[in-house]
This record gives sequence, structure tokens and C-alpha cells, in this order.
Amino acid sequence: MFEVTRYEGRRRMRGTAVLTVLLAVYALLIVFLYPSIAESSVDFDEYVESLPPAFQEGFVGSANFSTVEGFLSIEMYQFLWLLLLGLYVAYSGGALVAGDVETGQLDMLLATPISRSRVVVEKYLSLLVPVLGVNLVTPFVVYVGLLAIDETIDPVSLFALHLLSIPYLLMCAGVGLLLSVRLDRADIAQRGGIGAVFGLFLLDTVSTDTDFEWLGALSPTRYFSPVDILSEGTYDVAGALLLLAGAIACVGVSVLLFERRDI
Amino acid sequence: MAAIEVSGLSKHYGDVRANDDLTFTVQEGEIFGYLGPNGAGKTTTIRSLLGFQSPTEGTATVLGHDVRDEDELLEAKAEIGYLPGDPGLDEQVTGREYLDYQSSLKGDERREELLELFDPPLDRKIREYSRGNKQMVGIVQAFMHDPELVIMDEPTSGLDPLKQEAFNEFIRGERAKDKTVFFSSHVLGEVRRVCDRVGIIREGKLVTLEEIDALLRRGGKRVRVHTRSDADLARLSGEGILDRETFDDGVQFTFTGDYNTLVSVLADYDIVDLEIEEPPLEDVFMHFYGAD
Repeated sequence: MFEVTRYEGRRRMRGTAVLTVLLAVYALLIVFLYPSIAESSVDFDEYVESLPPAFQEGFVGSANFSTVEGFLSIEMYQFLWLLLLGLYVAYSGGALVAGDVETGQLDMLLATPISRSRVVVEKYLSLLVPVLGVNLVTPFVVYVGLLAIDETIDPVSLFALHLLSIPYLLMCAGVGLLLSVRLDRADIAQRGGIGAVFGLFLLDTVSTDTDFEWLGALSPTRYFSPVDILSEGTYDVAGALLLLAGAIACVGVSVLLFERRDI
Repeated sequence: MAAIEVSGLSKHYGDVRANDDLTFTVQEGEIFGYLGPNGAGKTTTIRSLLGFQSPTEGTATVLGHDVRDEDELLEAKAEIGYLPGDPGLDEQVTGREYLDYQSSLKGDERREELLELFDPPLDRKIREYSRGNKQMVGIVQAFMHDPELVIMDEPTSGLDPLKQEAFNEFIRGERAKDKTVFFSSHVLGEVRRVCDRVGIIREGKLVTLEEIDALLRRGGKRVRVHTRSDADLARLSGEGILDRETFDDGVQFTFTGDYNTLVSVLADYDIVDLEIEEPPLEDVFMHFYGAD
């Protein structure tokens, strides 16, 4: 069991290492930027007030820019984790099956005694390498970085944030996978994955505080809020479970679709 | 038990009948050539046999398992090797890593033995491989788990002539071990060297099933004779000489008769050059199955 996951996971090691280093560098940059921002006399509340409401909702939420928690959640997590990393895994998910259809590698795989459902599930699981990799390393980098500038945040919240981001990222990967089993061209599935996750993010952002707020409930971003976790210490565990269930549903539907199609 | 039994197999893509009501059987221990021009539907049949796509109508069994039933087919796949014309290898890993991966999925008891015959540079990344090296990795992975049945789609494309000969030799050895080989090709010469029996497919339909010897007799040879310019080529005729075409200082025809007759006819001429070669597959069709 898990030969495909092992193989593909090993192939993702290098990319994951590069991604982890880049995210760590960015995290340290943000952390070391904080003291000078905090000391500056800029009135961030006024700045935030001047932003369009949707923008406030999407990137700022209830965070307070002048606290280290607020600063981190806005500058780093709301943007990098919620949006960019979500897009990245959706993009990677888009290539899972369609990429192998395109190169003929899927034929070689399916000629061996391995079922289609196993192929889909095992390929999907290989995305755990980047998802777990970045979430295992980054909280330590952030925490140590904060110690270096004589700041501190609640470590429980910090680790909870990373833990709760895993179901969210798995859900985004599931969206990519769904497209990947339907489309023969990897680049279209990948762009579709990016488009879908970004579109859902916008839907959530734009619909907040309107009569159509329920529409945003369709978006995975509704169930994972770095700002709430870091600034307020509130964990949406039910939301995380819902995301996990959504991810499993995406994989299940992908298996059904893939079992029925011609390659 | 038949190794492959195709019954009424059809695969339509919209209006295109890629395979149309195919029925044939490949016996165990047989090397079966599946011959047809490009676009005839050979690959479509192979993809149906491996369960990559489901038949529009009819079905087939491989090693006794129905191709429409995934669970059944998986049992058969442990005993099947597959070699596509252009193997979809993972270009980012070395040949060794790729074979390790394939072996983790199906086993590799014959890997070392095969690597002595087919020797790609295993420690280099596959993306650096020549076409021939890729094909050799494909051959090794197709046979390394010692399958009962190997399905190959244009297997010698990209191999140099020496490796092709080694490959043919190897296939003949497999027959001696009672392995079954299903071998598609658009080149008659390739098929005739190793196959026992041939199925010819054209425009999705099975045209004929024949022993290879009978097919070759009927297919004949293409003969091209160059003579001194003053020779009277109009006299060159005889039993088995078909489709004569005269050009400047010579004549070309298809010959299906006895070689001794040909030699005695040619003895009357002052010959500058003589070529006797396999007729192109298209010509075989033209002569024996009609042009349409």
C-alpha cells in the first residue's frame, strides 16, 4: 500500500523544501519589520478604516494592526496562508491526474495491478508532503523570530493556527483534484484550481455583511480565519471538521468520476 | 484458456468507429501481430484490453478476466506487461528510480536479466535519455515482473537495428517459455520476423486473420530491376509478376511466385542493380483486400 504516495511524496520533497525556506524567509522579514512598524507613528486604524469594506474583510477582519498578533495575522497569514498557499495547493492538485494523462505516465501506472481509486487517493495524499512540511516548520521559525525581537505570542494559538490550516489546504487541494480528474490538460486544471479557490475567496469577502452572506458559506475561506485564531484566540473547530469533510467529499467524488471515464 | 478473447468489441468516439465489431482470439504461448496502418484503431483496441477505456459494445477478456470489470481486470494485470510505442516515463527521475517504482507496484524478478540485454544508463535522469534508451526502460519494465501476457504497441520504434534484433531474439525466447505476446505494428517486416499469426485491422474493422507464412506468400515482395538502357523490358513478364511499372532504365513489380522462376526470367537481362524488399503494408492491402 501507498507505493504511489511514497514515490510522489518523495518527488515533492525538493519543492517542499524550497517552498518552506521561502515562507520562512518571508515570515522572518515580517517579524523583523514589526518593531519599526510598531514604533512608527502611522495610524493604522485610520488606514484600515479607509480601505473598502470588502478589502477590510478579506485581509484585515477584526485584527488590530498595532499588536504583534494582528500584524502577523494580516501581513503573513491572511494573505500568505489563506490565499497564496491555498492557491498553491489547488494548483498542485490540478496537476495530480491530468498531468499524468498528458504525459502518458498514467497509462504506465494503470497497466500495473493498481486500482483507479487507489491512484486518485494516493496521488492526493502525496500533497500532504508540502501541506504538512510548511506547517511543521513555519510556526517554529515565527516563534523563534519573535523571541529574537523580544516579542511573544501565545504559542498555543500559533500552533493551532497551523494545525487548523491543514484541513483548509486539503480542501483547496481537493478542489484542484476534482478538476484534475475531469480535464485532460494539466495547465487548464491547474489554472481552474487557482481560479476556483480565488473566486471562492472573493465570494466570501464580497458577500460579508450583505444580504448574500450565505453565499460566502460555500467558500472554504469562511471556515478558517487566521485573524480570529491569532488575535482573538477563537478556534473554529467545527469549521475545520467541515473543511476536512469537504476535502474527503472532493476526493470521493473524484474517485467516482475517475472510475467512470475513458483515458 | 485463450490469453486474449475479443468478442464483438466496438469503440466509437462520436461518429468515428475506431473499433467496429472486432472478434478474434489470441492463444496462450502465441506471438500475435496486430497489424494495420496508422490510425486503423490498433491503439484503441489495446486501450480497451487494458481497461483504460470501456467498450461501446461487445467486450474482451484478458487471461480469462473481463476488461469491463475493474476488479477482475486487476487480477489479470498482475500477469500483464504493457509497452506503449512512446512509454510515458517520469522524466524527472533516473532510470533506476523509475524501475524501482514500477517494481514496487508489480515486482521485478527478471530485472537484472533484462538489463543485460537492454542497457539504458540507469543512473542518469530519464529526461537526458535518447529515444532508444527510453524504449529500453519501457521494455525492461514491461517484462521484469515475468508476466504471462505482454501487450506491446509499436514496440521497436526508436530502437536501433542491433537492439531491434536483440529484441526480436528475446521475444522468440519468450515464446519458447510459453509466454503470450500481443504486438501491434504498422510495419509488415517487423511483424513477420517474430509473429506466428497476424490480425490485420483497417478502419476499425478486422480484415483478416492469418498465419504469418500465408500472409507473406500472398503479400509477395517488391522487386525493382535496373538494366542497361537498351534492354527490352516489355518482355519481362511471367507467373507471379503483378503491378508492373516501367521507368527509365528499369522496372518495378510485386512478385508473389516462386523465386526460381524469377531468377530464370531475370537471367535474360544484363542487370545493373536488383532490389527485393518487403512491400509496404498499404500495397499488401491494395493487392489483396481492395483499394477502398
